[in-house]
Amino acid sequence: MKFRAFNRFLGILLSFFLFSCASDLDFNQVNDVKIEPVIVTNLAYFDVLANQFVTNGAEQNVIFDAPTVDVFNGSFFRQRLKKVEIFFEMENTINRGYSVDLVFLDRNNQPVHAINLAIPPYSGKVNKVTKTEVFENTQLDVLKRTTRIAFTMTMLPGAALSESSTGSLKLRSGVTAYLVVE
Amino acid sequence: MKKTVWVLVLMLAINCFSQNKQILYNFTSVPQSLLTNPGADFKYNFYFGIPLLSGISANVGSSGFSAYDLFADNGVDFNVKLRNVVFSTTRKDRLAINEQIEVFNGGFKISGEQSNSYISFGMYQEFDAMSYVPTDLAILALDGNRDYLGKVFNLGDLNVKAEMLSVFHLGFHKNINKNFILGVRGKIYSSIYNVSSTNNSGYIYTNPSSTGVYEQMIYSQLQLNTSGIAKYDDENYEPNVVKDITKRAFLGGNLGLGFDAGFTYYPKKNVQLTASMIDVGFIKHNKEVESLTYKGTYEYKGVIPKFSSGESVENGFQDFKDAIPLDTLYAAYTTWRPAKFNSSVQFSFDEERPEECNCLDYNPETIYKSAIDAQLFVMTTPRTPLVAFTTFYRRKIFKSLQMKATYTLDSYSYNNIGLGLSSTFGPVNFYVLADNLLEYRDITKANSLSFQLGLNVIFKNRKK
Repeated sequence: MKFRAFNRFLGILLSFFLFSCASDLDFNQVNDVKIEPVIVTNLAYFDVLANQFVTNGAEQNVIFDAPTVDVFNGSFFRQRLKKVEIFFEMENTINRGYSVDLVFLDRNNQPVHAINLAIPPYSGKVNKVTKTEVFENTQLDVLKRTTRIAFTMTMLPGAALSESSTGSLKLRSGVTAYLVVE
Repeated sequence: MKKTVWVLVLMLAINCFSQNKQILYNFTSVPQSLLTNPGADFKYNFYFGIPLLSGISANVGSSGFSAYDLFADNGVDFNVKLRNVVFSTTRKDRLAINEQIEVFNGGFKISGEQSNSYISFGMYQEFDAMSYVPTDLAILALDGNRDYLGKVFNLGDLNVKAEMLSVFHLGFHKNINKNFILGVRGKIYSSIYNVSSTNNSGYIYTNPSSTGVYEQMIYSQLQLNTSGIAKYDDENYEPNVVKDITKRAFLGGNLGLGFDAGFTYYPKKNVQLTASMIDVGFIKHNKEVESLTYKGTYEYKGVIPKFSSGESVENGFQDFKDAIPLDTLYAAYTTWRPAKFNSSVQFSFDEERPEECNCLDYNPETIYKSAIDAQLFVMTTPRTPLVAFTTFYRRKIFKSLQMKATYTLDSYSYNNIGLGLSSTFGPVNFYVLADNLLEYRDITKANSLSFQLGLNVIFKNRKK
């Protein structure tokens, strides 16, 4: 009696496992992971008022600063960046033309890349210029070496500005970074 | 290869508590049912579990996807499968794993002619891990933010915990009267290691802006607590994992206290009510503690040269790293065990009338051959409690073989059929319980699986 019960017990157990099955799984597929996020963020911004170009009644023709931009230097980004687009938009509401130079500097303060944006004087209409630069392959390596950007604004010849002149010169710049993580 | 290990570790680390032992609960021919209700109606003179073999249980659950969805060897690009999983799950979906092995377990009846009091004791090792699917973070990692302008990514989606511990317990249950059994159990927890990151909050969003190109805010309140693993990070430390685990398992780890309580009540001879609270307790982590935090707020504007009117930002990336720094803390912290509540109502029928008296193996519990029952299980989790509802049919097939079939509804599935078998040949009790049997047609497609098995030696009351 006891043996019969035990046999049935085993029988139920066995049939249970006999009916089970499993599809093929391949955990090595993890090695095929390739994700390609696209990240957008700000690169730079400024807004210079017309009267900043005038000091004690005299025009200041050149304004300069070179802040640190080391986003592209982080090791995570360095290794995984595939392509970068930098978008620039300048808007001028000052009655004077400008030439803006952006010079990308490496850690030894050597220029590695330069961008020039010129914008005419404001004439009452929307006055914007845009530019998009694409960095791939060797150009991308140049970008990765960048640690600072030197901004130089040069006033072009035109109607004189005074401390009561209105308007401003604005620049906004954004980055679109294409990463490949695998 | 390295990646495989990483993902496996991650899978292990991000799996969750679904410790519903619905088949074991109130299956009183198995001594381990006392661990799900210390007031279970289980009578014995004495019993002991075969060391390391008396109680083995494992439980894996994933409410949003199965192993097949991600790892099927079906020619579909893994990245496509990964995207499908990320975009078909929500932050409410959980992964869970729970494993228990009894090291030793035993019990005896307190001697005395009229005694109705029982002691049970033991030690078991347990591993628990859970994670919610970190949906927003996964989307951000897969796609970046370009196509999600205006979306607020919730950093609180990151919710993970994993713990290995050993539990020493001592239980007492007493038949207060013929109809009422009350039991309590005290527990000492000795945590071998703990990793928890369950109280995260914060957000990242990117909106189009008229000043900069984007308005980009990051607010982060992320914290990861660990105990028992910090020293493995130290390169100069030569790890002796076996020695460390053994020492910590035997009360050398971070200690905690807890209790279980439960009762069984028979309002009528064939009607039974039970309820229990399990693992109401905490662990205080103060040895080998290390916590990592990313806390702060930053609006990322890029650089703003000095000549700009208003504020300037000379080094935006550094400012950002300073605003939300990675800090390491060494402060003690407390974790709560996942508390579990069980209750059941059972109706018995089909009264047994033995033709021959089996005095040696007399079992006073099984007056009825059959029973039907409804059970409710609730467990605390870092977010909404997990609720499961089970109905079962229990049948004594032969004198030595009891069967319990269950049907369970929970957040993992609506078609969870389980089966438990408990056989007693002489004093030797062997049990095997498994649920989600329908999923065994292809276990790789299962959303949850659990099994328990064990071997005990039980000596019952002998009546003359």
